[in-house]
Amino acid sequence: MGFLVTTLIFVVVGIIASLCARICCNRGPSANLLHLTLIITATVCCWMMWAIVYLSQMNPLIVPILNESE
Amino acid sequence: MGERGRGCCPPMDLMRSEPMQLVQLIIPIESAHLAVSYLGDLGLIQFKDICACLGKWRLLFVFIDAVTMVVFGEMLSLIIMVAGFFLSESMFSVSSFSQLNAEKSPFQRTYAIQIKRCGEMARKLRFFRDQMSKAGLPPAARSVTQDTSLDDLEVKLGDLEAELVEINANGEKLQRSYNELAEYKLVLHKAGEFFHSALSSAEAHQREQASNQTGEESLETPLLSEQETAIDSSKQVRLGFITGLVPRDKSMAFERILFRATRGNVFLKQATVDEPVIDPASGEKVEKNVFAVFFSGERAKNKILKICEAFGANRYSFHEDLGKQAQMITEVSGRLSELKTTIDAGLVHRGNLLQTIGEQFEQWNFLVRKEKAIYHTLNMLSIDVTKKCLVAEGWSPVFATKQIQDALHRATQDSNSQVDAIFQVLHTREMPPTYFRTNKFTSAYQEIVDAYGVAKYQEANPGVFTIVTFPFLFAVMFGDWGHGICLLLATSYFIIREKKLSSQKLGDIMDMTFGGRYVIMLMSLFSIYTGLIYNEFFSVPFELFAPSAYVCRDPACRDATTVGLIKARDTYPFGVDPAWHGSRSELPFLNSLKMKMSILLGVAQMNLGIIMSYFNAQFFKNSVNTWFQFIPQMIFLNSLFGYLSVLIIIKWCTGSKADLYHVMIYMFLSPTDELGENQLFAGQKMTQVEQSVDGEILFSPYSILIISDATRHQGESYAPLPDTEESLQSGANNDSHGHEEFEFSEVFVHQLIHTIEFVLGAVSNTASYLRLWALSLAHSELSTVFYEKVLLLAWGYNNVIILIVGIIIFIFATVGVLLVMETLSAFLHALRLHWVEFQNKFYEGDGYKFYPFTFTLLDNEEE
Repeated sequence: MGFLVTTLIFVVVGIIASLCARICCNRGPSANLLHLTLIITATVCCWMMWAIVYLSQMNPLIVPILNESE
Repeated sequence: MGERGRGCCPPMDLMRSEPMQLVQLIIPIESAHLAVSYLGDLGLIQFKDICACLGKWRLLFVFIDAVTMVVFGEMLSLIIMVAGFFLSESMFSVSSFSQLNAEKSPFQRTYAIQIKRCGEMARKLRFFRDQMSKAGLPPAARSVTQDTSLDDLEVKLGDLEAELVEINANGEKLQRSYNELAEYKLVLHKAGEFFHSALSSAEAHQREQASNQTGEESLETPLLSEQETAIDSSKQVRLGFITGLVPRDKSMAFERILFRATRGNVFLKQATVDEPVIDPASGEKVEKNVFAVFFSGERAKNKILKICEAFGANRYSFHEDLGKQAQMITEVSGRLSELKTTIDAGLVHRGNLLQTIGEQFEQWNFLVRKEKAIYHTLNMLSIDVTKKCLVAEGWSPVFATKQIQDALHRATQDSNSQVDAIFQVLHTREMPPTYFRTNKFTSAYQEIVDAYGVAKYQEANPGVFTIVTFPFLFAVMFGDWGHGICLLLATSYFIIREKKLSSQKLGDIMDMTFGGRYVIMLMSLFSIYTGLIYNEFFSVPFELFAPSAYVCRDPACRDATTVGLIKARDTYPFGVDPAWHGSRSELPFLNSLKMKMSILLGVAQMNLGIIMSYFNAQFFKNSVNTWFQFIPQMIFLNSLFGYLSVLIIIKWCTGSKADLYHVMIYMFLSPTDELGENQLFAGQKMTQVEQSVDGEILFSPYSILIISDATRHQGESYAPLPDTEESLQSGANNDSHGHEEFEFSEVFVHQLIHTIEFVLGAVSNTASYLRLWALSLAHSELSTVFYEKVLLLAWGYNNVIILIVGIIIFIFATVGVLLVMETLSAFLHALRLHWVEFQNKFYEGDGYKFYPFTFTLLDNEEE
């Protein structure tokens, strides 16, 4: 459940970022397409990294074993 | 290259090179200089050097053609063009090289004179700069331009140089006389002392003699009395003397040689001068002695004079008479002070002159360099036979057409020329230069891509995706939000003071860092993000988003150090759980996580690369490449490493204990075996059999590819007839361009190499992405060591001094090792991943860059 919710949050953040870019730097269709591409790429990269780290911790095969001194 | 298909997608900035065209400009002579100057200001045309290879007949036909096109229209001009082309071809081959050179040199002589003039002016400006730096006056920054013409400037520079040279010469002369007089004064002083002491001792001696004479005659009285010798004064030999200064280190040798040359018949008296004296000849301070040489006879005098000259001893005249000596001294002192004031006035005048020069210096410098560039460009153009106009050829972007035409129009208007310049687009098969319109943000990334190879004309530019993926991969290797914040602070300093720093001249390293400030800014932002995900702030984790998912198995935590904690709560929502840091099983967990992450990110980037090759194939309407290169590559990569990625994700989602190494290796060794405990999903066995077969039959599509490649080449040999307005150069280049020769063996070998490269490359490239894991592990371990072994250790002593020392060491180690060295290292590896693993999927990079003729580059040139 947490996975899907956070994925949706990433999608929403991406949409908001592209809307902001469209509003404040609207410089013609080809430039807009470039900005959109960059924002989508950044969102996908960031989501991928988060998702990988999250998925790897969902069903762990090993658990933390503390050090003696702690 | 003409227009290619637009492909499937709407156009995107920076994705492909701006469309370029080969243009031909025919400019009347009187507006040529102005036209080139305006085009230089515009900075959007790259001139080709056509002067060297044109025969004059062809030019004649070009001219006639241009005129007829204007007057009669295209049909007639086409006929004349074709006729002229064939005629000039025959004449071109007939005309000898000497005729060509004869054509070239009179033309070049015209502008060569101008270039020589500019060279002369540049030399004068360099002379001024030398003088100014000797006087310690730096030239002022460039002021508002006043329009000075080149001729006026030449005259002005000539005058200033003459004046400056004269002032320098006069100054030197005055200084020399001053030094000589100073030496003379010393001589007068010291020699005066000699004579004074000699005179007083002589008087004393005489008084003694006189007192002796009044005494009785005794046996000691000389036989010849003094009086007798005094009478014969006319027969007495008169002693002459020479006074002067000799350098101290030569004084011993001087004395010895004098003694030997005159056989001991001279008397030399020397006195040292306390302070070093400025030698008039050399202008340096030298230690000297004052000497007085007494001799008799003309020959001795000549010898002594020659010896003085040889030793560089300066001679000064001296009078025995005391009264005259005093007079000379006062006279010399008076002249010395006069000279001093004159010299000072001269220096002040020179200083003023240099100051006025300094104010205008940069502007003049720029003007001279600009003119030189214009004349060099004019030399590259060719002049037609009637000497009435210049023909220029160059590459320019299509969007600049209007601007170039405007500039030409303004030039012809400003020069009051009768005829307007002609602007023509030529069709050619040559490959145009590549031009991307970048701003200050994207130019750094484009430079990074261009450093590996400039994009071929209109192929997909990897720079678009590099803008995001390069800082992202850097951040995967750098991940620490504390260090990211430090980088962000450093680069925001550069960005805030952008305007000021861009006009200054920074050192080489600072220049590079300043140029890449936006790259570093994105790198730091992504580093903060990955630092939050890895949960490292100078290697310290924080529970920022939710409590940790791991708790002790029982309230007493007895098993915490043997069996470990247990996952009782929800997965930590953002990033690595803080419970892992410092535990004994931290490394096995993190290593597994990071290695799998590297593979997943690598497969994603390589797939992006292959998709870019698909876009290229679509754009260039190369369907062979689409079906027989893109699809086999996709199938191969994904059936192997895509499948591995899917297995990784399934293993994470289900928590299965399957051994992925085992699964992957035995997929090829014995695909039909039972999977047993390595089974991850139902139907896995069938899928794997399919995958392994896929890889093996993949070689056959390559044989189809070879055959279809052959068909493509054959199709190209029937290229359409050349377009109407051919470029002037393409005739000469016909042998090098034109239809490619079709060779089956060459194509076969090429495709075979490509196949092998891709197959082997798939494995090695995927493994290469493991450097993301390696560097991030190194970074985190270094960070941990510095924190625990320096800072915590210093904290443990409870001593303020040790704490301060520890903090200082921690700061230096963090900045030096982690912020500088690790940044450079991660930068380099991210760059390598882009240049090799990403770009070799689709990038050809054998184009050449567009270097327009512009004056803005002159500012950065050093003489």
